[in-house]
Amino acid sequence: MATVQVSEAEKVYILHGIRDDLRVDGRGCEDYRHMEIETDVVSNTDGSAKVSLGHTAVLVGIKAEIGKPRPMVPNEGYLEFFVDCSANATPEFEGRGGEELGTELSNTLYKVFNNKQSLDLRALCISAGEHCWVLYVDVLLLQCDGNLYDAISIAIKAALFNTKIPRVHISSDEEGGKEIELSDDPYDCMRLQVESVPCIVTLCKVGHRHVVDATLQEKACSVASLIISVTHKGTVTCTRKVGGGSLDPESIFEMIEAGKRVGKALHAPLMKLLQQEESLGKKRQKVGFLG
Amino acid sequence: MPTDTKRVRGPEVSQSPSLVTSKPAAALPSSGPRADGRQRDQVDVRPVFVRCGLVSQAKGSAYIEAGNTKLMSCVYGPRETERKDETDMKCGRLTTDMRFAPFSCPERGSWIQGSQDRDFSLMLYESLQPAVCLHKYPRSQIEVSVMVLENGGSVLAHAVTCASLALADAGIEMYDLVLGCSVRQDGASYVVDPTYAEESGGSCGGSSEDAGGVTVAFLPSLNQISGLQSDGEMAGETLTAGVRTCIEGCYKLYPVIQQALLKAVRKAAPPPSES
Repeated sequence: MATVQVSEAEKVYILHGIRDDLRVDGRGCEDYRHMEIETDVVSNTDGSAKVSLGHTAVLVGIKAEIGKPRPMVPNEGYLEFFVDCSANATPEFEGRGGEELGTELSNTLYKVFNNKQSLDLRALCISAGEHCWVLYVDVLLLQCDGNLYDAISIAIKAALFNTKIPRVHISSDEEGGKEIELSDDPYDCMRLQVESVPCIVTLCKVGHRHVVDATLQEKACSVASLIISVTHKGTVTCTRKVGGGSLDPESIFEMIEAGKRVGKALHAPLMKLLQQEESLGKKRQKVGFLG
Repeated sequence: MPTDTKRVRGPEVSQSPSLVTSKPAAALPSSGPRADGRQRDQVDVRPVFVRCGLVSQAKGSAYIEAGNTKLMSCVYGPRETERKDETDMKCGRLTTDMRFAPFSCPERGSWIQGSQDRDFSLMLYESLQPAVCLHKYPRSQIEVSVMVLENGGSVLAHAVTCASLALADAGIEMYDLVLGCSVRQDGASYVVDPTYAEESGGSCGGSSEDAGGVTVAFLPSLNQISGLQSDGEMAGETLTAGVRTCIEGCYKLYPVIQQALLKAVRKAAPPPSES
């Protein structure tokens, strides 16, 4: 992770500000920074999205491939996550430097999606036990300015919303042999139900309070943070304490409550925004990476 | 006899026969007593057996057994850091390594550390780090390794307990012991310290809303949570209740761990005889 040097005096300033519910950039404790979302940014993918949150920028590309279902669950497809911390974000990620963070992030993503609600995996099944869709979710960190988890989860939700999987039909001949037929019409696509895909909320404990969407400076002042992934119904699919400190049980309960509240409020505007962008269709002005 | 290294003798990919055989009753009963006779909805942890100082070469070591879960932990150090570029002048480094023996789970694992093992190592690190007085060990590193000999469920929770015991046995200065406990929520009821069958059965069996697991690492005398992780899907209240249950479970474990530590200390430095 990109590191910043924060002096003792700066720390005290940030801490006192947060105590009075006023952060360095003028936000309250439960406010997000300015967020920009653009879907369908990479044409070679089946679904893609770029999210920037403050100076954090994340690009997610989803590719669908036909694979074999896992033997334990023959009637479901599955998702594969890979997070690449490119050296663009910070020189520390050069070579194998970003690997540790990458595995940490992708392992958390597996946990976030490890439940029945978040995505209907049965819709990804083509023929039970033989073929299914495998969605490769590749996350690229372009810029790090704190709060990677939240940005990644929002980008994944947007990219899944944008994902168009070609429709396939299975025809079987007299001998019982099966054949997969891809639809000729490129617009004949299957869309995913992303309504209940969870979003991650990271809460940083700074002093006696906790803040949402911490910048790197604020993160340097906090000892521990809690990540909570919340669905639109307010169900918690994954929690995890990160960072070197420990937390009081009571503050953990408070943070879970706050995370639920913030996460639940995040979903409706996000879905609305995505649908709005979708409805613009081809007229949409593409912003791209320089926007 | 010279062996033919060129020829592939087995299929490239092999599967455990348990996947082919008729599926065992996947859904465990979600009411009534548990398979091992413990009670549901109660803080009924498995009786644990703990011992310190098994490995003579290590600075400190511990072995823990709870039901079928068996794991051991060794602590080496403090010693000079190997990676010179990461030497911290003010603070020591803690490294954790958690591995599953290939035969520890019903399906064979590989010797190479997979991403799941690495995830466990990281969680172990985050749970232990707040408890160790690392500022007392500048420019040095302390290595903790945990080997899971048999996976009988709640591995991470017991690994945390075992590793903290090994750290204490090594004489590393700590603020407090770290105890781990996990809870599996299965619909309306929950099971404390789940077995392997309860852990894996719940995730693919039950169709209820609340299904998931919580693992907590807890510092009992400071009343702090040093590690928390949950998966599955749970309502906020269920999660909070789960964390509370875990803390209660940790308190049940506390005297046993204290006794084991006391015994190890007595053995290492026997009290002077009264004569």
